[in-house]
Amino acid sequence: MSESEKLLVVKDLATTFATAGGLVPAVGGVSFDLERNETLGIVGESGSGKTVLSRTIMGLQPRANVTVTGSARVNGFEVVGASEKEKRQIWGTEVAMVFQDPMTSLNPVMRIGKQIDEALRVRMGMNRAAARARAIELLELVGIPSPAQRYDAYPGQLSGGMRQRVVIATALACSPKLLMADEPTTGLDVTIQAQILNLLDELKDRLKMSVILVTHDLGVVATRTSRIVVMYAGRIVETGSTREVFYHHRMPYTRALLESSPKVSNHPHTRLATIPGRPPNLLKLAQGCSFAPRCAYATDRCHQERPELQPAAEPGHSFACWNPLPTTRGVAAP
Amino acid sequence: MLRYVTRRLVMLLGIVFVISVGSFYLIHLLPGDPAVVILGTGATPANKAALFKQLGLDKPIYLQYFTWIGNVIRGNMGTSFISQSSVAATIRAALPIDLEIIVLSQLLAFVAAIPMAMRSARKPDGPLDRVLGASSFTLLSVPPFIIIVLLVLFVSIKLGIPHTGPSSYVTFASDPIGNLESLALPAFTLAIGSFVVYYRVLRSDLIATLQEEFITMARSKGISQRRIMWRHAFRPSSVALLGAASVNIGGLLASGFVVQYLLAIPGLGYTLISAINTSDFLLVQGIVLTVSVGVVLINFIFDFVINIVDPRISRE
Amino acid sequence: MSNVANEFSLLEETLLIEKPEKTEPLGILFWICVGWIGVNVLAAILANVLPMKNPLFEDYNAINVGPGLHHLFGTDDLGRDIFSRVVFGSRVSIAVGVGAMVIGFGVGAPLGMLAAYKRGRFDTVLTTFMYVLLAFPAIIATIAVLSFWTPRALLKIIVVIGLASVPLVYRVIRTATLNVATKDYIIAAKVQGATDRRILIKELLPNIAPIGVSFLLIGIATVITLEGALAFLGLSVNPPTPSWGNMINEARTVLAQNPWLVIFPSLALCLFLLCLNFIGDRLRTHFDVTEVKL
Repeated sequence: MSESEKLLVVKDLATTFATAGGLVPAVGGVSFDLERNETLGIVGESGSGKTVLSRTIMGLQPRANVTVTGSARVNGFEVVGASEKEKRQIWGTEVAMVFQDPMTSLNPVMRIGKQIDEALRVRMGMNRAAARARAIELLELVGIPSPAQRYDAYPGQLSGGMRQRVVIATALACSPKLLMADEPTTGLDVTIQAQILNLLDELKDRLKMSVILVTHDLGVVATRTSRIVVMYAGRIVETGSTREVFYHHRMPYTRALLESSPKVSNHPHTRLATIPGRPPNLLKLAQGCSFAPRCAYATDRCHQERPELQPAAEPGHSFACWNPLPTTRGVAAP
Repeated sequence: MLRYVTRRLVMLLGIVFVISVGSFYLIHLLPGDPAVVILGTGATPANKAALFKQLGLDKPIYLQYFTWIGNVIRGNMGTSFISQSSVAATIRAALPIDLEIIVLSQLLAFVAAIPMAMRSARKPDGPLDRVLGASSFTLLSVPPFIIIVLLVLFVSIKLGIPHTGPSSYVTFASDPIGNLESLALPAFTLAIGSFVVYYRVLRSDLIATLQEEFITMARSKGISQRRIMWRHAFRPSSVALLGAASVNIGGLLASGFVVQYLLAIPGLGYTLISAINTSDFLLVQGIVLTVSVGVVLINFIFDFVINIVDPRISRE
Repeated sequence: MSNVANEFSLLEETLLIEKPEKTEPLGILFWICVGWIGVNVLAAILANVLPMKNPLFEDYNAINVGPGLHHLFGTDDLGRDIFSRVVFGSRVSIAVGVGAMVIGFGVGAPLGMLAAYKRGRFDTVLTTFMYVLLAFPAIIATIAVLSFWTPRALLKIIVVIGLASVPLVYRVIRTATLNVATKDYIIAAKVQGATDRRILIKELLPNIAPIGVSFLLIGIATVITLEGALAFLGLSVNPPTPSWGNMINEARTVLAQNPWLVIFPSLALCLFLLCLNFIGDRLRTHFDVTEVKL
């Protein structure tokens, strides 16, 4: 498949914030791409730059004191360097976002129906009645009971899970080809989390979208993504098919991340491993591997030279590490 | 919502009651013989007898209150012993002028403050925001009685623009254009004071609102900046604006008194000052009562509007 | 600044970098304002001993004279020296502003602190009462009382305005105290058995003092404006005692002949208010106090 047919091509994308404390490289040169109708997981601890990355890909970064370099092409449209006005052409129709916290991402003084049909009326030129009908359809699509009545509700009258469904319906209004879901379930109860994730999964197939699922929780991406990008300190440290990353990861950080997330197969009372140390201060990044200070395998080289991504055994799988974990290929997957 | 309104309504009635008691007992709180204070320069024996009858001064004080409040509710605030005219009628003639000045000034203030606050909030600390910020802060320190005097000095005296100086008031019915001309400076004076407050309040709220996640979400729908400003940012930001306008009403009335006094515009303020100078107690009492109740009522209405604008408030 | 703050909200959660201590310097303008207020207050106190013309002396040979060497700001329509009248006039404004706020804070602040600290029925009753008073338009009430409480003397004006400001001070101080009183270290002090008096004075007072001081300054400015308006309407101290407000009132009849008469007291009043407001505003941002609405 040629590059132009890919839905999203990101090359050397970097986002730098100018703050009072100095320049902060929130995203430091990231490249990856996404096929049509694919689900990609972006995984990392909080502070790894995954939220900034997802907003930069959309061009939704704050407007002041930010520098973006590199390239992000959404369905052929170059986001980097585009004006707000130009980006409006793709927002909603090509790429849409499901925000992290449904408590803050819905306008509290606007009826939810109005928030959904706004895009329909402004972007698709629908009249009031048609937009209303479509908005109710969308509410039904995302599984909101008695959608016609809910249309006139204010966000404050809905539960967190319902609100997140409304956020999803809003994002879907103009049938985007790419849906960015930024920690879509973090603010919700565990039982609701699975419902929302299953809904996204189902909608992806029904509406023939691609989805980027941004999360800190590897459990979330395990069964729902075909590929995973693992981020640390604003950079990709490992990427590959979900299966490869889970079973044949080479980067110690990926393993640490895996060991620190709960699994159903664990025995009761199993102690979860924690990653020692804290995520790095991006204002004072060391010149070597950013993970080195917390890594059990770190050598002098790790502290001095930054490792670049290098291909692993399977095509598409690569990692950035000087002392990778021994390959487990050939060993039977558990 | 209904419960909230009922609760506020009960509170409103309580406040109106306190105001009426305050206005009524004003006379007894002050030193001296009430009859002499009320009659002022018109303290003749005949008037004294009439006053006793009108107010029932021989009865216990709470009965006096009920007699008085009963009359007031029926629209009878007594007859002035100075001008021999009905207090209620005098107030009815003067009140529309105050309302006209206030409505005109508020239109001017909102029309100027809303777009300017939006422009400022779009680029906080930009050149426009800094200029507007500094000039509005300076204007905050210029009292209305100075603004009106300076306006009269420069506009009607130095520039010689007709119908703007003192004693040029004409009624709307007799000459609509002349009426608007004569009220231009008063309305402008009140508008400046209101504009400064509204601009500052709305600007800071808009800046806070524009940082909310739901604004980013609105951006991500691909709708225009203008629409985001008006549809998404303005309404949640306008609660403080309405609150400021509500608090401002009392100040507006006082500023109105000042401009009327200077320009001899026969509104409530001018009438009040004249009544004070002629010691016309009943008229002062009537105006104080009317204005106080008016302010409280307007505040109540604003409260109600704020609840409609932001449904979060009554739910809390 | 606000833009940077915006980024930080995003950065804080995503990047875990420490937010640098925000120190808003007071700036040179702040000290100029403090200096100007100081000069005004000193001049008002020392007006009698300073080598100035008698503000009440009517020189019929020098009526409506423009500004010049002999009369710095010129003279009014009775031949009185405007400069010395402006200086003496500041006495009324400053006395009313400070005096009324002393009463307002003297009554309102302790009540507000106590109510917020004690809570319970005491708080409920007092707060309801104050809110009812607050709904009563203070300006109208002040005019109503002053209009018939004659003769109008400085002390009466101070008392009336001071009492009228009590509910407002009460509300500001109560809100400020509430914000502090629910903090963990206050609760910790209570648990450790500190006396109420100690907590109120040692723990709460220092924490609400910045809010109190900045509100005090803005309150003084508001009271001076109110006194000016009352004087302009002829409801403040009786002439011939000069005050900034009644000078402007007297000037309005000779506006065309002698504009200086209105310009100088206006300028003096506005500058004084501007400095007060500026100091109050700067202190508030300096101490990072959240907006307290007047």
